[in-house]
Amino acid sequence: MVQAQPQRKRRRNPDAGIGYLFIAPSIIGFSIFVIYPLVTSIYYALTQWDAVSAPIFIGLKNFIFMFQSDPSFWPSLKATGLFVLMSVPTGLILGLALAMLLNRKIPGIRMFRTIFYLPVVLPAVATLTLWKFIFDPRFGFANELLTYLHLPTSLWLGSYSMALPSLVIIGLWGVGGTMIIFLAGLQAVPQELYEAARLDGGGNWTILTRVTLPLISPILFLQLVMHIIGSMQAFVQPAVLTGGGPGFSTDLFMYNIWQNAFQNQQFGFAEAQVWVLFIAIILITVFTFRLSSMWVYTEEGTE
Amino acid sequence: MVETGKAVSRALPTRLPRRRRWTSQQMFIFGVIVFFAVIMMLPFFWMLTTALKTNNGIYHLPPQFIPTTFDFANFGAGIRAVHFVRLFINSAIIASVATVGSVVSSMFVGYGLARIRFPGRKIWFYAFIGSMMLPGIVGLIPMFKLYLNVGWYNTWFPLTVPAWFGNPFFIFLARQFYFSIPRSLDEAAKLDGAGHFTILTRIMIPLTRPIWITMAIFAFQGSWNDYLGPLVYLYSQSKWTLALGMASFAGVYNTPWNEYMATDLIYMLPPLIIFFVAQRYFMEGLGSLGGASVR
Repeated sequence: MVQAQPQRKRRRNPDAGIGYLFIAPSIIGFSIFVIYPLVTSIYYALTQWDAVSAPIFIGLKNFIFMFQSDPSFWPSLKATGLFVLMSVPTGLILGLALAMLLNRKIPGIRMFRTIFYLPVVLPAVATLTLWKFIFDPRFGFANELLTYLHLPTSLWLGSYSMALPSLVIIGLWGVGGTMIIFLAGLQAVPQELYEAARLDGGGNWTILTRVTLPLISPILFLQLVMHIIGSMQAFVQPAVLTGGGPGFSTDLFMYNIWQNAFQNQQFGFAEAQVWVLFIAIILITVFTFRLSSMWVYTEEGTE
Repeated sequence: MVETGKAVSRALPTRLPRRRRWTSQQMFIFGVIVFFAVIMMLPFFWMLTTALKTNNGIYHLPPQFIPTTFDFANFGAGIRAVHFVRLFINSAIIASVATVGSVVSSMFVGYGLARIRFPGRKIWFYAFIGSMMLPGIVGLIPMFKLYLNVGWYNTWFPLTVPAWFGNPFFIFLARQFYFSIPRSLDEAAKLDGAGHFTILTRIMIPLTRPIWITMAIFAFQGSWNDYLGPLVYLYSQSKWTLALGMASFAGVYNTPWNEYMATDLIYMLPPLIIFFVAQRYFMEGLGSLGGASVR
């Protein structure tokens, strides 16, 4: 890692002190905001604790209760899993499709890119609450549009089956963030490759699957991982829109944790849940990385 | 890496080599783009018209897309209903302090990691980058306890102070960008007797403008848009941020949606204005990101 420097030179290096002075803020920050909470959270996860009195060590009881008796744990896990399964593929596919659509020279293309990116810039609370009124069953725009198109209307956020998909739809409005990153990736693909593929008689579909997708697969993979991690930690949507309901249908795990900690004052139990979420994120990330070697294109591999 | 990002955004792949009449395929694609763009804009139109509707207008059945009468009084009423001015100032102070803090500290740390040779710098770099992988929620409860103990609960410190200790993502950005600047500039400055601090402030900061403007936009938006932080740490309504105020305004049983949308529009304005003013730098910064991840 660090190049072993001769002892003599190191002693004379005048920059060592000043180097550490420059990165001192991050070293202090790393110790206080990363190492300290990481270490203490393990202990808190094994306690019963209301944040006021001293934590009481109870061993693994939090975890046993969580897996065996907590009525909200499994429904919450199911809602989170469904949310990830619905929002990740739709976000990636739509983001990539839009990027390919906008990766061309047509009049006003910058304006179109800006329009698609705009919702990403806005505060989550502002957009979520906007959608709350759009999804209003009686006076909202969504049902008005459906009625106009002679389609059945919905209760949206108030419906047990539609609440979670509604959150996914709101998330798709912010697909511009994914689109911009894919766009940057598409623009880095050398044009000669497309020309060569066309000369060889490749059709649009062949070019997509044999040239474009392999070349942007590293970005696709990175986006996949980020989206999975991000959607496993979705919090604002249930917190602002649904309060986890109806039933447990939108009781995403992060929201469940927040409720247990800051509303029910069960900080020890919530910290145990945090660790379950954390370990789940690590496992799924490792699993995705393992699978990635099957489809992520690396230049070293072929040359 | 940065260069490719810039060059790429200028030389876009072209489907129309010469100015000719459009083929039917191009017309179709243009139509699809316009269709999606209209869908993306619909919520904005709905918001704008709702903000201008009268009380009867918002509860009109069937809902009207374009109101028959316009009511600009919603802005005043909404602003009074959520104590908008106070929350706006609160949010602005918190976001400014956090933005300045994270940009300044990250420029420093990034410089140290990119330009100063000292033992252990790679280990620290990987440690900082690795901490990005850690979900924020893991530290939330211990940090809450810590802030509670030092009397920072219900103050703005938990939302502003951590920013001054470097943001790993920004440090990564800054470091990448510093690498693209020729070392000969440092050497020349050193011969003239400049120390690292002078090199950073006189040479690096002017040269890396796109990147710290990008950082500042990200940081401001991150703070302005943050909901979980204020929700956990701010108890008194007088200390709330706009994110909290707007969420609670929308959460009451019978939200006056016209007043709500009017204030929501103003809430959205600062990030929107910053985005449009700094768009050029922002896209450059993002372009360099994309270029970095391709290679």
